[in-house]
Amino acid sequence: MSVVLTMQQLSSSLSSSSALLKQDLLLRSFAFTVVYTTVIFVLNNFLNFWALWPGAINILAGKTSTEPFLGWLQVFSYVAAPMLAMMHVSRLRYESYENLADRVSHWAATCIKAAFWMVLLVGMIDMLVSFLRIESLLAPIVGDDITMELGKPQFRGAYVHLPLMLLACVIALRSKGLGFIWLTLLVVVAEFLIVITRFVFSYEQAFMGDLVRFWYAALFLFASAHTLLIEGHIRVDVAYTHFKDRTKSWVNVFGVILLGLPLCFTILTLGMWDKTSSINSPLLSVEVSQSGYGMYVKYIMVGFLAIFAFSMIIQFSSYLLKHFGVLRGETQTPPITSATNP
Amino acid sequence: MELLFLGILVLLMITALVSGFPVAFSLPGSSIIAIGLAALAGWIFADNPDAYFHEGGPVQWLSAGVTNFRSLYWNVERDTLIAIPLFIFMGIMLQRSKVAEDLLVTMAQLFGPVPGGLGISVVIVGALLAATTGIVGATVIAMGMISLPAMLRNKYSHSLATGTICASGTLGQIIPPSIVLIILADQLSSAADQASAMRKAAYREITGEFSMPSVLDITSASAGDMFMGAFIPGILLVILYILYILFTAILRPKMAPPVGYSGSYDRQFLVKVLMSLLPPLSLIFVVLGSILLGVATVNQAGAVGAVGAMLMAGYRLHHSDVRRYWPAFIAIFSVIALGFLVANFDLNIKSIHTDEDRLGVTLGVIASATLLIAITWSGWRVFKTGTILHEVMGETAKTTSMVFIILIGAAMLTSAFRAFGGEELVKHMLTSLPGGFWMQFFVVMLIIFILGFFLDFIEIAVVVVPIVAPILLADPSANITAVWLGVMIGLNIQTSFLTPPFGFALFYLRGVADQVVKTVSIYKGVVPFIGLQILALVITGFFPSLVNYLPNRTYLTSDSAPPPMNPRIQPCLEQQVLSLYASQEASLLAAIDTMAALDTSYMSSAATKMLQNSLGKARETFVKVDDIYQAKAQLTDFEQSYEPLHQQVRETQLNVRRNKGLIEDAQLELRRLDDIELNDNRRTDLFERIDALEEFNTRLEASIPASWATQRPIFEQLNKAEKQSRNDYRRNVDEAYEGIQELRLWISQAAELAQAQADVAALVSSIDQLSADEAMDAIKLQEQNLSELAGVNSIKSKLSKARRALKGSKYNPEKAKGYHSEAMNLLTAEIQWRQRAFMDMAPELSSYNLAIKDSIGLRQQERMSIELATTISACMSSHKDISLQF
Repeated sequence: MSVVLTMQQLSSSLSSSSALLKQDLLLRSFAFTVVYTTVIFVLNNFLNFWALWPGAINILAGKTSTEPFLGWLQVFSYVAAPMLAMMHVSRLRYESYENLADRVSHWAATCIKAAFWMVLLVGMIDMLVSFLRIESLLAPIVGDDITMELGKPQFRGAYVHLPLMLLACVIALRSKGLGFIWLTLLVVVAEFLIVITRFVFSYEQAFMGDLVRFWYAALFLFASAHTLLIEGHIRVDVAYTHFKDRTKSWVNVFGVILLGLPLCFTILTLGMWDKTSSINSPLLSVEVSQSGYGMYVKYIMVGFLAIFAFSMIIQFSSYLLKHFGVLRGETQTPPITSATNP
Repeated sequence: MELLFLGILVLLMITALVSGFPVAFSLPGSSIIAIGLAALAGWIFADNPDAYFHEGGPVQWLSAGVTNFRSLYWNVERDTLIAIPLFIFMGIMLQRSKVAEDLLVTMAQLFGPVPGGLGISVVIVGALLAATTGIVGATVIAMGMISLPAMLRNKYSHSLATGTICASGTLGQIIPPSIVLIILADQLSSAADQASAMRKAAYREITGEFSMPSVLDITSASAGDMFMGAFIPGILLVILYILYILFTAILRPKMAPPVGYSGSYDRQFLVKVLMSLLPPLSLIFVVLGSILLGVATVNQAGAVGAVGAMLMAGYRLHHSDVRRYWPAFIAIFSVIALGFLVANFDLNIKSIHTDEDRLGVTLGVIASATLLIAITWSGWRVFKTGTILHEVMGETAKTTSMVFIILIGAAMLTSAFRAFGGEELVKHMLTSLPGGFWMQFFVVMLIIFILGFFLDFIEIAVVVVPIVAPILLADPSANITAVWLGVMIGLNIQTSFLTPPFGFALFYLRGVADQVVKTVSIYKGVVPFIGLQILALVITGFFPSLVNYLPNRTYLTSDSAPPPMNPRIQPCLEQQVLSLYASQEASLLAAIDTMAALDTSYMSSAATKMLQNSLGKARETFVKVDDIYQAKAQLTDFEQSYEPLHQQVRETQLNVRRNKGLIEDAQLELRRLDDIELNDNRRTDLFERIDALEEFNTRLEASIPASWATQRPIFEQLNKAEKQSRNDYRRNVDEAYEGIQELRLWISQAAELAQAQADVAALVSSIDQLSADEAMDAIKLQEQNLSELAGVNSIKSKLSKARRALKGSKYNPEKAKGYHSEAMNLLTAEIQWRQRAFMDMAPELSSYNLAIKDSIGLRQQERMSIELATTISACMSSHKDISLQF
């Protein structure tokens, strides 16, 4: 590492250690606003269709509502998003772009970790319940009434899946590692068990295939954010490899804003526009597969798409911050301020 | 106007891709921008966001895209894609367990002394690795690091050495199990559905019949079919590579000198060879074997492969000690035990009835548990060896996600492409090419080849295939199978790894090759191999059986094979049987005569009639066969003169239909135009356009030769006659054989009938002693018993008359007994003749059955024999022109 710092590097590291320039503030706030808006959008989606709040769009479109106050609160939440983002950014003003990018990336990783534990727990427990139910072993264990109830998707969603999901969030906050990569091994194991039971014991049931599909879908959708982080999504690099670092960053910044984020926003908004949208409707009705004796997780699988879009938005924001840093001439050295970080 | 936005879409896509932003987001991102721009422009200029779409509107198309994302993992039909992470896991696990290294070193020693031996060993190792890992990067890097230095040291020409390594490394793309083939199968199966719908619509339109015969339908492709289809072309490619290296080495020994091996070829060396060869070979055998034999699905084979790879890694990564091979041996032992148990016990866990079953299942559980323990043990070793397991899982997750997010992105692109009428446009352009199907096919293959210079295989498979495959598949004149198309595209895409500037294999090799090797010599080195690739493509193109035979054969010999009755296999079945009749006519007639000469005087009249009828039909078969020949000859004769006319007229009619579509489009635009002066020019243009098109159509219609009106009905009539002759033949042989089978059944039941006699006789006392209802029940019971036997309807009807005579107010036991005794008489007579026939006639009948069951009786067999299935697979493997049916 060279000891000699050029004047420009010195000044840039100084500026980031003392206060933010206007441009830095704007760029950082932009990335954070993307995250905040997304979180608020998803939150509002929950409020609109599960808690039956009026919804910001309806209020702005002038539709009458019994709870106009809540509606205006929702409208306000979108206005608040950039403000909150800016406040957050100024609190973190001593951090380098790279540190911010890591921080945001960590949010995405935590979100994926929670999702991983959800599919792990829900997958195993629901498969067990489905197995016991199809083999008529459930009634002797939990009684006839609960067996009946467990045959209803609504009940199983509320009293089996939901608690497991909450548990998953707790585990995710307390565990280390990436989590989702274990899904590769789980898919192998689940499919291999099908092989054994089918070829040795002539036993094959719908829930076994459902479990493989459940974990495999989770695998590639959850892995996407991390794949972006480690530059695993392939590029047509005929020209890209010859670009200078700054040009590469320009490509990535434009790419994220024009191509990546619109895709994720399209998925979220079209999937969550109203009750009948492709993500909301299966979730609201707790849709399960037609076979009846499979696992009751089809509605969760549609949620994967939302998790994919959500985690990708956060990861893209982190990616933006990283490349903003390059464009703003931030050095790759660790920031001087890290020791005095409040 | 929508074409403008189609152009914008393509332009955006190219810009985004070339800029180097990840493909997975460039494809959907540019689609969303294009759809957004079109909606915006529509809203501003036409006051209607839908205005610039081919059909539908922006929200609808975007939603369709999002729903497409979901269908990737939500639909059971696309389960085949699950195999991808499984095979990636297997490949990366094998790569980390250094199988490639072991193979390369020993193979080089084995083949070294042969001319070009090092190169040949690289090809063979490449093929073996392709059949296990199939990961191009891993293979090329391993060979680049181990074989390249050895080849360079031994004075191999740089270009030959690098070319061999790159080309062999890409074999993984075509030799199953391969990711490309799975993706192609996924894309092709939906393309085949679309093509089938197109063909059915065309058939309905032309013939006016509602349902299309299944013989004319399109053969779809599953991942298993693709694997089987690609197997022979893959081997062909390996042979071509080896021959090329061998010839180069012989003609120009300087380029590939033989390399001596300093050690001796002793027992130790043999053990070394076996130890490095056997494990991957057995894995190939299990994984590919189970797919090729149709035992396991591709997903299941993938899981077995992944687990097998973990077992191998379990001892390969373990430090040498006594217990090194224990888990592997335990696993092998348990698998053998399981095989033995499955063969000797009924292990169905849902039907445990006897003690033997219980024993079998218990042993099965123990063996499975042992197997799982051995696997867990191996897995634990991998987990404890550094971070290998984490690396394998991480790499698998990364690669899987990379592949699937591109698939998702392409779904959005396809949606946008359709939104702007791109599909119609491509179809239009392709079908208006002169030269028919083969020209279209050539152009598509050329485009794929050129795209291969810039794009990776996944992008080509997911972007190009959904657009062009339905059009190519629907064409009745070539009537290609989806498998063949898939393998041809697969062979073609494989070159994308080799073609500079964006050839993956070249990059990988450049990364690990010594600086002495110039990039230009790598580029020069792959050229001959690209040539060989194209040669393989041409060979496979001219001999579609190379691809179609294995999938057909596996299907027709599998447990789920269709019976010989299946309409789809009739043309080939008949071809086979007709040739049989020609050679066996005399012996068949002799068999019929022998049968007819038998004494049948003691048989019941119904049986005699049946036999006679059946024999008569059997004799008639030869007349029917002649009819078929005659009808076919007439049809073929006529077709020769008719075919050019048919094609000319159909093409004209196609143009007319297309013009009508254009006229409708123009009229639609006219209606949509606002009634303002600004639009006057456009309106005039449109009117002129419509007039011109209409006039053109009139001219086109006039250009249809007058002979069409006379020739077409003749063709239809001859075609119908030919079909009719075949149907007549089928009905005839069915009746001929069914009669004999029925008679054999009757006779074989003589003993059962005799057993029933006592019970039926006892009914007299039932009628006398029991109450009316009870007696009726007793009779009913006997009726039911009899109905399990064949040819006793007359007896049964007497019994039911007897029963009805006891019913309600008409209670009349005497009348009932009268009917009963009639029934008894019939029964006795029946038993008598059947018992005699059982002695006298049954052997004759069976030998007659044997004589005719492969010809006249063929259609009625439950299964085809292996030989027949093989012949029919071969017959079905060539593509047949069915364009005259449309």
